[in-house]
Formats: sequence, structure tokens, C-alpha cells
Amino acid sequence: MGKSVRRMSVVAGAIALALGGCGSKHDDSTIVIGVVTAQTGVLASYDQPSLAGFRMSIDEINARGGLGGKHPVKLLVRDTRSDTATTAAAAQELVDEGAKIMITPCDADPSIVAGQVTQPAGVPTLTFCGSSPILPGAVGDMMFTTYPTDNLQAAALAKHAYETGLRKVYLLVSPDTTYTSGLPEYFGKVFTNLGGTVVGKGSFSMNQPDFSVAVTTIRNLKEQPDLIMTAAYEPDFPAFVRQLRAAGVTTPVFGADALGTPTIAGLGELANGVVFTSAGCATPGSKLEAFNQQFNKVTGHLPSSAYEVNGYEIGLLLDAAVKSATSMSGPAIRDALDNLENFEAVTGTITYRGTQRIPVRSVALLRYEGGKAQCLQSVTPAASEIPAPL
Amino acid sequence: MRSALADSVAMAAAVLLIAVAAALFGSTSMQRVVAHAAVMLSAVLALQLFSGNSRIVSFGHAAFMAIGAYTVGILTLNAQLQHNALPQLPSFLAGLELSTWNALIIAAIVGAVAGVISGATLLRLSGSAAAIATLAFLIIVYTLLAAAREITRGSQPFYGVPRDAGLWVTALFAMLTLVITRTFRETSWGLAARAAADDEAGAIAVGINPRAAFFFPWVLSATLAAVAGGLLAQVLGAFTPHTFYFDLAFTLLVTLIVGGMGSSLGALAGLLATTVLIEVMRQVESAVSFFGLTQSALAIAMILVIWRRPEGLSGGLELNLLRRLGKQPAATVVPAEVKRANADVLRVAAVTKRYAGLVAVSDVSFEIAPDSITGIIGPNGAGKTTLVSMLAGHVPPTEGKIHLGETAVHETAAHRVVRAGLGRTFQNIRVFTRMTVLENVLSAARGVHSNVAAAEEAARRELARVGLLEQADALAGSLAYGMRRRVEIARALACEPTFLLLDEPAAGLNPAETRELMTLLAAVRKERGIGIVLVEHDLMFVMQLCERILVLDQGRLIADGTPAEVQSHPAVIAAYLGSRVAAKSLATSTPSLGAVVTESN
Repeated sequence: MGKSVRRMSVVAGAIALALGGCGSKHDDSTIVIGVVTAQTGVLASYDQPSLAGFRMSIDEINARGGLGGKHPVKLLVRDTRSDTATTAAAAQELVDEGAKIMITPCDADPSIVAGQVTQPAGVPTLTFCGSSPILPGAVGDMMFTTYPTDNLQAAALAKHAYETGLRKVYLLVSPDTTYTSGLPEYFGKVFTNLGGTVVGKGSFSMNQPDFSVAVTTIRNLKEQPDLIMTAAYEPDFPAFVRQLRAAGVTTPVFGADALGTPTIAGLGELANGVVFTSAGCATPGSKLEAFNQQFNKVTGHLPSSAYEVNGYEIGLLLDAAVKSATSMSGPAIRDALDNLENFEAVTGTITYRGTQRIPVRSVALLRYEGGKAQCLQSVTPAASEIPAPL
Repeated sequence: MRSALADSVAMAAAVLLIAVAAALFGSTSMQRVVAHAAVMLSAVLALQLFSGNSRIVSFGHAAFMAIGAYTVGILTLNAQLQHNALPQLPSFLAGLELSTWNALIIAAIVGAVAGVISGATLLRLSGSAAAIATLAFLIIVYTLLAAAREITRGSQPFYGVPRDAGLWVTALFAMLTLVITRTFRETSWGLAARAAADDEAGAIAVGINPRAAFFFPWVLSATLAAVAGGLLAQVLGAFTPHTFYFDLAFTLLVTLIVGGMGSSLGALAGLLATTVLIEVMRQVESAVSFFGLTQSALAIAMILVIWRRPEGLSGGLELNLLRRLGKQPAATVVPAEVKRANADVLRVAAVTKRYAGLVAVSDVSFEIAPDSITGIIGPNGAGKTTLVSMLAGHVPPTEGKIHLGETAVHETAAHRVVRAGLGRTFQNIRVFTRMTVLENVLSAARGVHSNVAAAEEAARRELARVGLLEQADALAGSLAYGMRRRVEIARALACEPTFLLLDEPAAGLNPAETRELMTLLAAVRKERGIGIVLVEHDLMFVMQLCERILVLDQGRLIADGTPAEVQSHPAVIAAYLGSRVAAKSLATSTPSLGAVVTESN
């Protein structure tokens, strides 16, 4: 009996703890930013670096007196375990606890689900590095993307390809994710608009190391392409390139931002000529290079990707938005953010004005040579050049 | 059945209580957590309905949820939004804007159809092969959803589903699913599935078709899972095919395994335990700002459960509230008039069975009338087991015909032969060890009586007949050997057979048990006028009990007569001369002799 009473009281205590969301009070000038991101699970490899960069900028901002110089930030961070339902529950929790701004994971559906909570609550919401351009439209006027979106990246790549004299492209897609299916299609659209042609399209299954069908098809194309465009990444991309080059096909390969990793660089000679995108390019003397050094000083290691600087830039964007906002209400901050134009960030300028909450920003193009990524150029496509979200 | 209803009401009340508490005292996010948990509970229960009863692990239920989710998503989407998000949607699906309820009903129908189609192919397999096939089914559905871009947006998020299903709708469906799963295991379908999962040959022997037995729970659980998926679509509002892939399939399975796969209480316990643990750990985690604790706590809890309680938190048992409270009705048996068996005759005409080059049974013919006790004897390898298998319809003869009354046994499936009037027991006892003694007999009685009460009454009567009424609620697997033998006989009698086919009924019994068995069989024959046919090595047993004996040797029928005639038959003596002990016992076993001589097998 005693044992069962004790057991019941433990359960009751647990339920009480779970039910009672502790609503603490913050003083008026403080602004609460809710961060519902995946600190564990499959999305953690994107959200953790993003959060590290974001924390760094918020710490710097707080040292300057807060957002807009007068609103100290209190960060409430929740782990979603990369689970969509948990994302919704945690977002609701943070809204209940007074979050005025929300940051969501690097993926479209948890961001949409969180956005469904924040949109009716009038809380401006920014995804860390979710790059699907449908995101703002799927949620509503409170939702912003921050990272170069798939269609933006594709537009920059297509422009670069056409300008360097390439005219015929083969697209290799995978229906498994939005990124691997959408990005090459956006590329195809922009490339055709510019005057290029798509000579063929093949598909692959992710995490399946056999590309022999795709490689044979490409080799036997009647009309040989000038370039192959794919959004494949690890472990598919290395397998593809290895098999492609082994078959004697020397056509240049274009990829997207997921190729900026040590693994791809480690391919060495095999990756020679592979063009890919990034949020920025750390040329000596650039702002990005300075950021990397500062990040190293603060955290003890260099950024592992472009997600750190993107997280850092979100802090800067919010700072600028709050500075120009007419009040501290969610809609006012939203309006201010939506009107930002040519904001000087770390990687270049960022514009939200007239872009349906998808930033127009520069996209850096890089090329691997001998295991090193070389900066080619920074491209800022005009809004008219960016294809509409699929 | 009353017990099942009491249990389901109690468990549904617990769910209702949690929902009411969340509505009254919980924050918005807590209500969201409870609504999501209710949907997951329905899904885990749906899985339990199939896997718990059939013991086949299924990964396919995540696929049914996906089917339900996309159905509800497409049907309820706002027309304008649908036009933007799915411009190429086939016109018959476009702009329907159905209400949540109608969409859920259609999701149920679609789920049922998917269940029928997949079940028809998957359930031709059994055991782990079937489990792997469900995995393949999941992959197929995932691939189709990702490929059907015009309808599903492919791998892109499907968004904009109206979020109408809140706390009450989800809790209500969870309660309904609880009642369905808890009662299902007591229905004749549930009994059939559990029996077939426990012992396939045993199930066939009580007239259950094992494939069909798994088919119905598969379709029903597919239907429930599809509705749960539809509700999940409404709770989440946005999803991709990936939402319903391996992660979800494993989450459902792990929750069920932690709770206990064998019972609906297990599904409830597993879900409650994991949800409370996750929510508590989440609060702790954000209080100390250290992430990963939830995952670690879940992993540790799972290891602890598997280590300390391998059958899950519930131990695989149901609540059995009435029994716990002592409210179970006293086991009364109405000594109803037992039905006399009909006058169908068992005819074996020129039956031969060849296995490749070996002739196991060669040109055997005989007829057995009911209201008789016939023994089939013969030295090892004489073809007795093959003959019994042919009589029971398990093995078709190569040539010749076997008729039971009007039924052509030689061309009828074994489980149908039972219905035609042939009950049987096995040499190596095949009771359903994970079911109670009463359920063992009930699984047979439900084939005869469509009325639950009548079936239960008949089952109790048979248990009383073999003297096991006291043990009715014990698990059959916990009984001693001799008692299991009697459970098997009671189970065969519950089929209300014209003929009772006993394969070595006295094997493994001590002398006292053997005598009891003899008395029992003689009495049953006298009461009901059934024909008992037994194959036995214990010659004393055969000589004393049987009035007619058939002797097989090398597949041929060499003698047919009374015990006295058979013992003096020269061919029989010659056949048995190979075994000195048996030959001696053949010579000395007379009905008047008391000594028990068993040939060492």
C-alpha cells in the first residue's frame, strides 16, 4: 500500500510538473525570443551551428544594451528533438511564456507547424536555415526565411553557368526531399529563360550508392551536356562523382550549398571543377573572415558551415528591425523587418522589401580545385530572375 | 466479454479524465500535447489490435496513417489554398472542402481498402516473413506518396490542413479505439487470431483458417490507423511523407513493446509512460538548458523496461477489472442436454499416400460408424500418422477418397473438415499456451455457437466434463502436462464433432492419468454417441478401451476386428515380432489384464 501511494504521488507530481507551465514575468523593456530548434535528432547538425551563431550575436547585442540599443533579449530555447509535434507544442509553450519573436528549425514542415502557432498570435517568425521558398506563403505574413532559398541559389548558379558560356544542362534529381527535387528544377527554369536548354533529366534514390544507371545514361546521351546540375549531397554526391569520373565523363558538375563540407573537399582531385553555393565567401579581409575569427575566439573553434554566420545575421536583422519598428508589438516588428532594404550584414546585403519575406541576398559561388574551395563571385539575382516557388 | 467491457469503460474513463484535466487546468500547449498523445494512443492501439493478437510485428501501420493523413488533407483543404498548392490535382479530388467528420469517414474507408489489398498479399506469409513484408509495404507507400506529386506535393510539405481536431475529437477517438481493441480480443475474430498466432495447427484443428484469422484484424487495424493518421494530419497541419516513415513506425512499435504488446492496457501504459516521461524531461531540460536529456531518459527507461519486464509494463495482461474486484460471475455450469452426434459415417475408400518414392499408406479402405471406439495400431513406420493426417484433412491422399458423411475430406481444407464434424488432438499437445484454459475451449466453441453466451456456456460445460472448470482462468501454458491433454480434449469436444480423432492420447501420462482418460473417453462416447478414433502405442490402453482395432503394417491394413480377433491374427503377430516388447504385450494385453505395458518409442 505504502509503495503504491508513493508511486502514485510520484506520477501525480510528474503530471503536475508537466501541466504547470511556469509563466515568469519579465520587465517591460526586455524582449523574449523563443527558439524552438532541433538540438538533438537529424536536424541538429543544422540547428546547432545556427544556434551557436545566433547566441553569439544576441550576446553581443545584449552587451550593447539590447535590440535597438534598449531592449535586452531573453532567449528561451527549447529542443524539438527533430520531432514535428514537439515543435508545435514547444512553440505554443514559448508563445504562452511571452515570446515576441520566434526562431524555428532548418526545415520546412516543423517551421510551418510552428508558424501555425505564431501566425495567429502575431509573433514574427524566422527559420534558421530552412531554404524552401514555399515557407512564408504556406504560413502567412509573420513567417520569414533567412537563408538563401533553393530558388535563389538555383538562380545564382544558372546565371553563373550561362555567363560562363555553358548552354546545355543535364538535371539529376531525387524525389526524396524538397531540396534534391526542387533545386535542379529551379535551375532548369532559370537556365531555359536565359536561353540555355535542358538536354535530359534523371533521378536517383537518396542513400543508395549505385549511380551506374544515371552515369550510363549521361554517357550515352546523344546531345552531350555542358554541365550536370544536381542538389545531391553526402553520401550520394561523392558516390556519384566518383562513378561519373570513373566512366570517363569529364562534364563539369554544379551543386548547391550542401556541398560546402569537409567530406566533399576531401574528395580532392575528384571534386575538381565542382561549382557550389554558399551564404558567403571568406576572402581575406572580408567581413565573413573577421566573423570566423571572432567566432573562433568566442567558441574556441572555427565555424563548421555557413549556418553559424546565418544565425549571427538573424540577430543583426532583428536588431535593425527593432531599431526602426514603430512599437514593440509583434506586427510592428514584422513590418519593420519586412521593410528592410539593402541591410549590410556579414555576407553581403539583405533585402526583404517587396520580396514576400524571402530575402534577396547575395549568393557566393565557389569552385573546388585540388580539395580547396575557391571563391568565384558573389551574385545577387534580381527579384525578377528568381523563379516562383513550386 | 463483460470483463472486456468493464475494462474498456475504465480505460476510456481514464483517457476522458486526462482530457478533462487538460481542458480545465492545462495550458494551450499542454492541451496540444494531450491531443497529440491521444492520436498516438489511437495509432498504438490500432497496431496492438493487429500485432497483439497475431504476434506479427507490423511496420505497415505508419503507412496506413500516411494514407489517412493525405486523404484527410486533400479532402479538407481550403479550395483556394488547394488550387495554389496542388494545381495539378485530378479534378474529382479538387475543391471538395469536406468537413472533418466526413473526411475521417472517407479516410477510414480508404484505409480499409488499403488494408484489404495489402492484407490479401502480405498475409500469405507468416511470422517474421510477414513482418518484413509490412516493412516493404511501408517503403512502397512512402515511395508512392513521394512520387505522386500532383496529389501529395511529393516530398514537399503538405500544408494548410485545417486544424479542427482538437482535444475532444482526438480523445473521443482514442476512447473509441480503446473500447474496440479491448473487446476485439474477446470476440470470435480476436480468439481466432490469438489461437492462430499461438499454434497454427492447433487453430486449424478447431476450425480456424489461420490466414483469414489474421486478415480481419489487419483490415480493422488498418482502418483505425488511417483515421488516426487523418487526425494526426489535423493536429499537425503540415507533414511530408517522411513524417510517416521509419521514425513513426519505430515509435509506434517501441511504445507498444514498452507497454506490453499483448494487451490494450499495454498500449495505454506504454503511451502514458513515454508521454509523461518526455513532458517531464522537457521541462527539466529547458529549466537547466541542457539538451539531450529527454532522449537519454527515454533510452534508459526503455532498456530498464526490457530488462526488468520483458513482457512490457502491463506484462502483456489486460486490466481484468472484474476479476480483480472479485465481481467475476461464479463459474456456474448449466448441465444442459448434450447434443447426440449425428449418424454420419467416416468412409475411407482405397486411400494411398506416396511421398516421392515412399508409399506411406497403400490402398487402405474401411468405414467407421459413430457411437464407437476404434483403435489404429501398428509398428513404427506403419503409416498411422499419415493416415490420421489424411483423415483430418491436413494431407490430401495421392489416390482414393475419404468421406465424412457428405463431406469429401480429401478435397476439403483442414479447418473446414473440423466444421464437418471432426475434432482432433495431437501427439505433441497443441494447446494455445498464451490463452486461458477457458479461451482455449471458447475458440472452438465460437465456431459452433454464434451467440457469445451460448458459446461460453458450452465451453464451461466441456471444461466441467474434463474436470478443469477450476482452472478456467489459468493460462493454458501454466498447466501440468496431463491437464493440458485434457484441455485439448475439451477443446476438441467443444467443436461438437461426430468423430473425435485422438493421436496418442495416453502418451506421457502416468498410469492413474491413463485410467482417468479411459473413463472419460468411454463416458463421452456413451453420452454423445460420437465415434472415437485413436492412434496409440499403449496397447493395453487400446485393447481395453476399443471395441474395434485396425492394424497397419508398412502402409497396408493387415487386420480389422475386435481386440480378441486382432490379437490372434497371424499377420499381426508377424508384424509385431520385430519388437519383442510389443509382441509380448500383444500376447498378454487382454481386456481383463491390468498391467500397463508401453512400447518404448
